[in-house]
Amino acid sequence: MAAYLSMGEAHRRINDYLNRFADSVMSQDVGSLKSLLTLTADSPFLLAVADSISLVQDGNRLIKQSEKYSQLAEILVPLLRAIQCYRVNNLADAYHAFEKAANAFVQEFRNWDSAWALDAIYVVAYEIRVLAERADTKLSSEGKSPEKLKAAGSFLMKVFGVLAGKGPKRVGALYVTCQLFKIYFKLGTVHLCRSVIRSIETARIFDFEEFPNRDKVTYMYYTGRLEVFNENFPAADHKLSYALKHCNLRKEANIRMILKYLIPVKLSLGILPRDWLLEKYNLVEYSKVIQALQRGDLRLLRNALEENEDRFLRSGVYLVLEKLELQVYQRLLKKIYAIQKLKEPGKAHQLKLEVIIKALKWLEIDMDLDEVECIVAILIHRNLVKGYFAHKSKVVVLSKQDPFPKLTGKPMGS
Amino acid sequence: MNQREKLFPPGTSPLEDRHVLEVRHDQSTSYPYSGTPTEASSWPTYGVDNSHTQNGFPSNSTYGYEQHVLPPQKDSVNGATEASSLSLGSTSIGQDYNGYMTYQNSTDSSGYGNTGYTGYYSGYQQQPQNSYAQPVAAYQSTNYQSPAGYSNSNYSNQTSQWNGTTYSSYTQYPYSNYPPASTSAYSSSNASVSSAHYQPQYNQWAEHYAQAEVSCAPGTEKLSVTAASLVESVNSGISHGTMISNQPTAPVAATWKPDTGSLEVPPPQPSGTVGIGYDAYWKQTTSGYLNHHTPSGQSNYLQPSGAKAAYSNYPEEQKSAYNQSNMQYPQVPQSHQLSGQINTSATIQSVSRVQIPTNPRIVSNLALGLTKTEKAAPEGKPAYMSVSFPKTNEKTLMGDATNSTLKHGAFPKSLRGYVERALARCKGDAQIAASQAVMKEIITNATADGTLHTRDWDAEPLFPLPDVDNLSKESLTPISLRLFKKSPTRRTKSRWEPLAEEKLAGESIPKNNNAIRYGGWKQATARDQKALVDSSEDKEDMVQAPSISNGEHKFANFQKRFKKPRLSVNITATENEDASSDSDKDVNLTAEERKKRESRSKRFDKGRGNHVEKGYVKPKVAGSANLYPRRATAQVLSKALDDSGSRAVEDIDWDALTVRGTSQEIEKRYLRLTSAPDPATVRPEEVLEKAVLMVQNSQKNYLYKCDQLKSIRQDLTVQRIRNHLTVKVYEIHARLALEVRDLAEYNQCQSQLKTLYAEGIEGCHMEFTAYGLLSVILHSHNIRDLLSLMSRLSSDAKQNDAVRHALAVRRAVTSGNYVMFFRLYKTAPNMNSCIMDQYADKMRYRAVTCICKSHRPTVPVSYIAQVLGFTHTVAATDGNDEKESDGLEECAGWLKAHGACLISDNSGETQLDSKASASTLYVPEPEDAVAHGDASLAVDDFLARAPS
Repeated sequence: MAAYLSMGEAHRRINDYLNRFADSVMSQDVGSLKSLLTLTADSPFLLAVADSISLVQDGNRLIKQSEKYSQLAEILVPLLRAIQCYRVNNLADAYHAFEKAANAFVQEFRNWDSAWALDAIYVVAYEIRVLAERADTKLSSEGKSPEKLKAAGSFLMKVFGVLAGKGPKRVGALYVTCQLFKIYFKLGTVHLCRSVIRSIETARIFDFEEFPNRDKVTYMYYTGRLEVFNENFPAADHKLSYALKHCNLRKEANIRMILKYLIPVKLSLGILPRDWLLEKYNLVEYSKVIQALQRGDLRLLRNALEENEDRFLRSGVYLVLEKLELQVYQRLLKKIYAIQKLKEPGKAHQLKLEVIIKALKWLEIDMDLDEVECIVAILIHRNLVKGYFAHKSKVVVLSKQDPFPKLTGKPMGS
Repeated sequence: MNQREKLFPPGTSPLEDRHVLEVRHDQSTSYPYSGTPTEASSWPTYGVDNSHTQNGFPSNSTYGYEQHVLPPQKDSVNGATEASSLSLGSTSIGQDYNGYMTYQNSTDSSGYGNTGYTGYYSGYQQQPQNSYAQPVAAYQSTNYQSPAGYSNSNYSNQTSQWNGTTYSSYTQYPYSNYPPASTSAYSSSNASVSSAHYQPQYNQWAEHYAQAEVSCAPGTEKLSVTAASLVESVNSGISHGTMISNQPTAPVAATWKPDTGSLEVPPPQPSGTVGIGYDAYWKQTTSGYLNHHTPSGQSNYLQPSGAKAAYSNYPEEQKSAYNQSNMQYPQVPQSHQLSGQINTSATIQSVSRVQIPTNPRIVSNLALGLTKTEKAAPEGKPAYMSVSFPKTNEKTLMGDATNSTLKHGAFPKSLRGYVERALARCKGDAQIAASQAVMKEIITNATADGTLHTRDWDAEPLFPLPDVDNLSKESLTPISLRLFKKSPTRRTKSRWEPLAEEKLAGESIPKNNNAIRYGGWKQATARDQKALVDSSEDKEDMVQAPSISNGEHKFANFQKRFKKPRLSVNITATENEDASSDSDKDVNLTAEERKKRESRSKRFDKGRGNHVEKGYVKPKVAGSANLYPRRATAQVLSKALDDSGSRAVEDIDWDALTVRGTSQEIEKRYLRLTSAPDPATVRPEEVLEKAVLMVQNSQKNYLYKCDQLKSIRQDLTVQRIRNHLTVKVYEIHARLALEVRDLAEYNQCQSQLKTLYAEGIEGCHMEFTAYGLLSVILHSHNIRDLLSLMSRLSSDAKQNDAVRHALAVRRAVTSGNYVMFFRLYKTAPNMNSCIMDQYADKMRYRAVTCICKSHRPTVPVSYIAQVLGFTHTVAATDGNDEKESDGLEECAGWLKAHGACLISDNSGETQLDSKASASTLYVPEPEDAVAHGDASLAVDDFLARAPS
């Protein structure tokens, strides 16, 4: 394509781009400004501009020629370079140039009284993150150290500082926060989230509900995930449920992401999802876990965990799911109890350890007396079983009333 | 000082005073002063006052005055030669600029920092109309305000002024030396100004010099002689006058009178003596002392003084030097000449200067300078020469004053007065020296028989004046020596400058056996001075003392006093006090602070050293070995600076400086480095390998091994060795640390190993992966870390026994499965159990709480002991019962310690009453608890646990 471009045409296109940019800033037209900043969308217009820049070589001269453009030169010069570099897949340079342009743009934005360009800031924040991610993938595939995302993190932190004050720009703070969350989660530096969260949640001058819904959902999703890491399941349940409730129903991918965490959290609170939910959102990896919970099938649970170990580890729910083991034990004991009740209703509340061992053996799980005694002790200790264990006779004596209390939304052990 | 001021009729305007002074200055030959002793006494003070004139009006007046005076002077003098230079001074600045342009360039190339000059420049701009005031103003605008005042005073006044000038120029010198890089550090001064500013500065100096010439011209020949003899006495007079404000008039007058006399009829002898002295110094030139100060400046001085008998020689010498230096700095000659003239004039003015040559330190400098000039003006610091020379002057003066100050500081005032009086009547160095010797004896005797403080010194008759003729030859040298020794100490210092000088001075004592008389005093100098300054309530008396004793002091005081004229001679005591207290601050710096500053400024020092002493960096290093605690850094840096010119420390290519050890010692104690490593104490890799073996086979305790391993690690690090040996050392150390539960050390090793493994260096990766997992699980409890660790485990790793064990432990811990945990504890591979060990107690407590809640009614302790790992693995092989019972007791003890309720059942077996215990369990305070929370840091306990 570039080959067929005439010099004049190239100049015209670059001028067109510059003109549009300057006009949109002048007229505070966020819509067109956004499109001009969106590098990674591969819009035909920007691609053409990129080719033109490659052809013309001295695009910067065009900027300096005109008074109109030269005011924005600090933004435009690196921006053109970013567009060009991105076009030729030189992502590291593209990121670098774009960060420069973005920095200049943010400085401009800081000086504007109104927040008209907030949407453009969103685009910048998004673009910088995506560019950084892509640049890092490319860098690491080339064997170089990927540090662009980290740089993007600190840049966005600066942007956050610009927005987080009082005034109309504050609305944009949550968006940047969410972009930061994405970066931090990707980098595995979630501890950095804390400071951002603090400044969002402690600011009393600004009600959380005033933020855009989109950002609220994202924010709740990430903070919910953080609570999963903290094993604070009620809080995680609250946040993720909020996200699910406010999430746009048509954004199924987002709903799935939320459910991916919400389901394990709910499971650990003793609430099981319906099968259709798993199927609808393609979360079948949980189905075996849920089955195991329903049947008291320890082996199934372990298999399910083993099968999806990598996935669960990466998403961070592995430990949550592993803790379901006790609930599976509870279910198993409950089943034995039910069977005993059928056979000998009078002695049903006495569970012999041997029976439990036999049941486990039937599940191909080999455990000795001490271990099972330990499990039972833990179950009683965690309130999953009501009763006591008689060590001498190796018998679990169950309470006559509600020997297997349900969790129903309360965390285990409470 | 106030008193001095008061001596003048209140009506007298500063300008007038200056006039008088000026006259005197210009006609130094005849010394009109002699007639007016009072004024003479006030003289030193006076200079001070003038110098204080701040940028504004006083300097102006001075300038104007100067102009007037100069022409006649010129006429009267035979200084036709100097006429040209004079004209230079009086001509427009612009001309000067042109002339010095070149010079400036050369300076730059030699790596001058511009810092010092920037200030000047700005000042210059501020007062462009007043060429003389410029330097002053400039200086003031810079941080170092006082020097500015000095430069001003130079013109208006004589000796003291000259000193001042010296000072300013001197001050300028060190700063200019700083490498440009350091400018930032100097931020207080105007770093922002560009190098170009140096130029104007230069002009000003040139002007100064020109003027100096003029003044010198008249005195030239005579002066050189006269000054030599007289100066000493004058000096002492000055200092004394300063010292003892109570009797300022008398001593000063006395001092001056002889001066005049001698001036008129210069005694031939002193000059001869001086000459000898000089010779001696020249000889001393040798090497040895390499000062920080610019030697070149002194060399200049030396030349004139040395040549003084035959002054005509001087220019020639200059020329030769000049020619050589010409190569590099075309402008040098000019400055040279100027400086030369200054020197001469200096001779006239600063009585004290005569002593300069005597000081071994300076002598060495001189020698150096000389060599330089004669040889090839080595790095051609001509500018410095001229500049620095005056400094010497100043110093001497100061030294003098200090000397006496110090001496008398500890003594009653009356005694001081006595000494002053005694010295005041002396003519020339020789006499002073002799008198001092006598006095010292007197004082010593007085001290010995306890009458020092009781005797009425005021009434004490003066001892007969010693015979100078006899004494002069022998005594002159020592005296001047003493004076000189001091001078390095007294150098004007910025707060940034290191205190090295003081050290130097201190150390010069032992070196110079010459410090015959005043060695003792000298040593005391710094401290005494401080004490003196501190203790003196009588600021008026002491004002001069501190100023003399410390460059900053002086400046501060001077400045304050400089304001006096402006305030119509009404300076208040408070002001003075302010000044001195201000300056006290610096004097009172704690030793630590001084050290800090020293080290901070060391790099500047280095940089400067490089510039100044480029020609002889090596000797410098050698010399400094004695002066500074010897540091490898010095070598490395000086080397680096040698070839890198003005590079800042930060820019040094450390790669090129990576140490290659040469030490063959296998055993080495660990000492945390505080400077760059010295290759002589670093072991190369082969030796380190032996050292590792030695540690491995050592039977000594952990502390010893840890120490050795740390030193090995250090040697590896400084040599940047990262290979299997490095991994091995860290692994050994980590295991040892685990063994004795030294978690801090273990963590260090573990984190190092992590990066080493990541670099692909082979080692026991799996073993330490397992350790890593275990410590995250058991100690940090960071779920996020744990997850990322687990997710990064390769399938190979998961097959590894140690890793699998660690993962199983994790499972047991997260589920609270104590049975599993203690089974794993017993079967732990490698040193996994060592990490688990630290968690065992917690796990036991968790288990017992769990058991107490779930089991009814009782649980046998034997079961608990078995389940909670109180039985030892050894028990399994044989002697089962015995060992088990051991475990039982231990378990029962542990349970009791945690508040469990134990009962005996019918069969006599100890049982845990779970229901009763459930509410009484608690975690006892650890017996080895320490205030700082880490028991492993308690030395006694640590030693007890360490397998020796």
